[in-house]
Amino acid sequence: MDDTAVDSTRPLLQSSGTYTAEVMRGIHTKAETGIYEIRGYGTLRQRRWATFDDLTFLPCGLTRIPLEGYREKCSTKTVLGGRFAKRPLELEIPIMITGMSWGALSYNAKAALAKAAAKVGTSNTTGDGGLSPAEREFAKDYVYEVLPSRYGIDVHDLRGASAIELTIGQGAKPGTGGLLLGSKISETIAHQRDLPVGVDQRSPARHPDMLGPDDMVIKIEELREATDGQVPIFVKLGASRTFDDVKLAAKAGADVVVVDGMEGGTGASPAILQEHTGIPTLAAVCEARAALEDCGLYGEVQLIIAGGIRDGVDAAKAMALGADAVYIGTAALISLNCNKPLYVEDYKALGTEPYHCHHCHTGRCPVGITTQDPELMKRLDIEQGAERALNLLRAMTLEIQMLARACGKSDVHHLEPEDMAALTMEASIICGVPLAGTRKVFGR
Amino acid sequence: MVEIAATAIDAATLSTREVNALMRARLESGSTEICVENPNARHNLAVALLRPGRVRFLGSVGYYCGGLMDGAEIHVEGSAGWGLAESMSQGHVVVHGGAGNGAAAAIRGGTVVIHGDAAARLGVSMKGGLVLVAGDCGYMAGFMGQKGTLVVCGNTGQAFADSMYATTCYVGGSIGALGTDAVIEPLSAEEAATLDGLLAEHLPAELRAQKPAGRDFKKVVAGRKLWNFDKHNWKAWQDAL
Repeated sequence: MDDTAVDSTRPLLQSSGTYTAEVMRGIHTKAETGIYEIRGYGTLRQRRWATFDDLTFLPCGLTRIPLEGYREKCSTKTVLGGRFAKRPLELEIPIMITGMSWGALSYNAKAALAKAAAKVGTSNTTGDGGLSPAEREFAKDYVYEVLPSRYGIDVHDLRGASAIELTIGQGAKPGTGGLLLGSKISETIAHQRDLPVGVDQRSPARHPDMLGPDDMVIKIEELREATDGQVPIFVKLGASRTFDDVKLAAKAGADVVVVDGMEGGTGASPAILQEHTGIPTLAAVCEARAALEDCGLYGEVQLIIAGGIRDGVDAAKAMALGADAVYIGTAALISLNCNKPLYVEDYKALGTEPYHCHHCHTGRCPVGITTQDPELMKRLDIEQGAERALNLLRAMTLEIQMLARACGKSDVHHLEPEDMAALTMEASIICGVPLAGTRKVFGR
Repeated sequence: MVEIAATAIDAATLSTREVNALMRARLESGSTEICVENPNARHNLAVALLRPGRVRFLGSVGYYCGGLMDGAEIHVEGSAGWGLAESMSQGHVVVHGGAGNGAAAAIRGGTVVIHGDAAARLGVSMKGGLVLVAGDCGYMAGFMGQKGTLVVCGNTGQAFADSMYATTCYVGGSIGALGTDAVIEPLSAEEAATLDGLLAEHLPAELRAQKPAGRDFKKVVAGRKLWNFDKHNWKAWQDAL
């Protein structure tokens, strides 16, 4: 038989580009449950928008002189909050652990991250539900989040913080409050949050005692009063109308603005919010910098960028575009063995496999990170987890330094847009750097 | 018994930071009575007071008075702005006039008593403690209340006690409209007696005399239909605030 002839006995499997298998499965699920899909992790979309991968560094040649990549000093010290705080937050590295709640995360996960952060000289952040016992025991510098829910809020813990973060939104779901399903509201977590055991906790989207930026001016001052003006006040925004929001936050008196892009993670959220709300992190950092420049506060108000920062390369590019530091969340969890092929049968029981798991919302995390089940939690050894997270933080720092040295910088904070070229027109337009192969910044 | 004179602080000549620092220093040095003159509705007074002792404001205060407090007692001889005593751990706050939006928001314990009216979102997200309003309250009072007791002697606005977890509410007047998942439960004789006791304890006799008897209050709790999603109760979720 001619190999090129059509085999009419074999069915021709055609699939719809509109109604893909994922779309159909989503409709099937909604038809059964009557509710939108809820899951964890963050966006699962294949990223067709401009990302940090669309930029490349332009190391030194004859126009600039590089530093010796493995020898010459390249400072990573990071100071945040010098605008108003008497005691700015001083960190050894520009990578911080973002807010992830005790509740979404296990005690062991919070403990491992706090230990790693303390050892490398950076901060970890509390998350919804207040300061966890793990952080109380192991953290050196913690950022205390003041969230709309105010779960577990405690003035003594707040006053013990190295910085306060007033959270307006998060990248995975800007404009919507937190979610913690009943399977994770154990007796311990319920007690911490003053909730009934087993309820599906839906956190408020708005703060209970303020609405817009005018109120926030007073709210920020309240937090300063509560801490005698000692520590910086961060304002965290989910990246949506980033240019305007950052200006409002800075003008309201924030020492530091945190912008969390749409690649940001979550323990549980309606999937549509993760996939279809907010703007990407690359776009967010560019808008945020432009906003601070527009109101004359760039350099005075520090910028922390979060949302899908995977490695030192993403971090270095974010810093070159204007960030003073980055938050990591999901990457830190992956360092604790998230999605690693361990306990494979338990992944399968969740209907997934290693490297594909996004089932944080179930509370059945096979590797003991996003669970409140004592047996599952044991799978994450605190010391080993802390060592792994520490190694990640150190390796990422070395990556940032390597790129900075190659660009001739003796301080990672000296990275600048001119150190990069864009690989796509979109990235050139968004970031304001020339498209590689041209000397042209598109869109300008 | 030796009578201790109240130490006075004149806020007119001091910054808010200085007023608060003076209050804290005096409480820490053993003062049990502090009197603040000329508060002039200034924001962020008496924030994060962490020692026992009584502070009297001779006039109105602005936003967040008594916010993040743990253990002190505050009397406002005037009215209060937004976020009165927000996130208080423990303590006692009395406002002789009215209070703005979000009074007693997210308190985890202690007592907030308002002799006048309270505006919108009274006791929103409260996690414990007692909130007692002698007058009326605005809309969304008790929204997402988690624990504690909310008492309104007068009338409520709309969306009262919406989406609550386990706060118990009592209303002496009329309810503008119940919020989603808010239900009226019968009031027991014990609860009526408890209410009478609370009103007698926290309101001046003359004011108490104008308020309904404990037995005439309506009790409002969560219907628990929003605690976990149920597709058969879709309407409640569609309407949930």
